Amino acid sequence: MYLVAHIDQAICSETACRLCTQYCPEANTILYDNAAKTAFVAVDRCKGCEICVGICDDLAKHHAIKMIMITDLKDTFELSKEGFRPESWTGKHP
Amino acid sequence: MSFKNMTITPGWEKYMTKEYVDLVERGPYGKQKKVSEMGSFKEVLEEHPMCAGCAMTLFIRLTMVGLPNPEHTILIGTAGCGRLALTQTSIPFIYGNYGDTNAVASGLKRGLEVRFKDQAKDVVVMAGDGGLADIGFSAVMHSWFRKERFTTIMLDNEVYGNTGGQESGMTERGALLKMAPKGKLFDKMDMIGLAQTSGVAYIARLTPTNPTRVASVVRKAVMIAREVGPTFIQAYTSCNIEYAIPTPKVLDDAREIESKRYGFMEIISDEAKAYLESIDTSKKAKK
Ligand SMILES: Cc1ncc(C[n+]2csc(CCOP(=O)(O)OP(=O)(O)O)c2C)c(N)n1
Ligand code: SF4
Ligand code: SF4
Ligand code: SF4
Repeated sequence: MYLVAHIDQAICSETACRLCTQYCPEANTILYDNAAKTAFVAVDRCKGCEICVGICDDLAKHHAIKMIMITDLKDTFELSKEGFRPESWTGKHP
Repeated sequence: MSFKNMTITPGWEKYMTKEYVDLVERGPYGKQKKVSEMGSFKEVLEEHPMCAGCAMTLFIRLTMVGLPNPEHTILIGTAGCGRLALTQTSIPFIYGNYGDTNAVASGLKRGLEVRFKDQAKDVVVMAGDGGLADIGFSAVMHSWFRKERFTTIMLDNEVYGNTGGQESGMTERGALLKMAPKGKLFDKMDMIGLAQTSGVAYIARLTPTNPTRVASVVRKAVMIAREVGPTFIQAYTSCNIEYAIPTPKVLDDAREIESKRYGFMEIISDEAKAYLESIDTSKKAKK
């Protein structure tokens, strides 16, 4: 069991700040849904470093990201399963 | 490579991996992507085994976004942590022997200029402080003296990260490391000063605290290397393992080091400045 980043999309979509997408060290791990105006995490790529939490809390000051046990997440988005298909995201991802 | 070489022959899409199809269809080709678009386009960097929260990983990721023409770029690296990610990009990567990256890059760039007269091909060396300032030092210096037209990027984590914590020439005096238990006895090498002395056309020092700046510095360095002369980027990319930095604090550390002794700095020759201005003016004229 391990922790992954999880984004509260209700909070995130109020801001459209996109900062965490630029500071996560891993490529295409925090994705951005332009239609739903929210960031979301591809959990299969998240290494649990918690850098995004600090970015959202201290730089963006939005407090939208928490670390959650992967087993406690009901729905997850995995890039290796879904591929990088922004046209299919539109608010449907967890 | 070129984008044409990457495109999939019609009918073969179903045999290609998802990642490849995504890259061709939604990758950063044809138009320079912006840092503010990250998360909305497929990046050239894939998954890789570098440590969680490694600042070097972040820096490499941002560098890939800054490349003006990834489809016409060749990366050269060597032993050290960075190549663990650099080998997982869709950009051709040459694994130089530890120490000879800048010699390999010199020959490659000259060969590419002969072979592809009508298409600029960018050569970018990315290696550690040990690889460039210690073991590769002579090849780095001579590539600069000879004014070879490629970019050298030092991933300066101030330690030999990949081999468990030996001091490098770029380690700070007094730093305690596993393999420097009494603290380093000598000063950090002044590679910026050496680059200046050897006439490098564009020199930048920075940390990954400002992603847009990283991408813009990389773009400038690669463009100037195409037309003017050698360029050098020295980037603080902490090793959270050897310096025992908890991963959530990696960017706090970068900000602190930046304000104490690793502030953003750019040194640009008159010729390089004029060249950058000329490409900006021609871009505006096109609009
Ligand atoms: C000629 C040679 N000597 C030694 C090594 C062993 N070696 C592999 S990685 C490495 C250290 C890398 O340190 P650095 O270049 O600073 O990169 P980092 O791992 O810190 O990113 C060494 C000494 C080697 N591969 N080749
Ligand atoms: S930093 Fe926070 S508010 Fe900004 S995009 Fe990321 S999760 Fe949303
Ligand atoms: S925890 Fe680290 S790897 Fe995971 S999404 Fe956040 S910044 Fe990226
Ligand atoms: S050992 Fe250090 S430099 Fe290498 S990947 Fe891990 S944190 Fe990064």
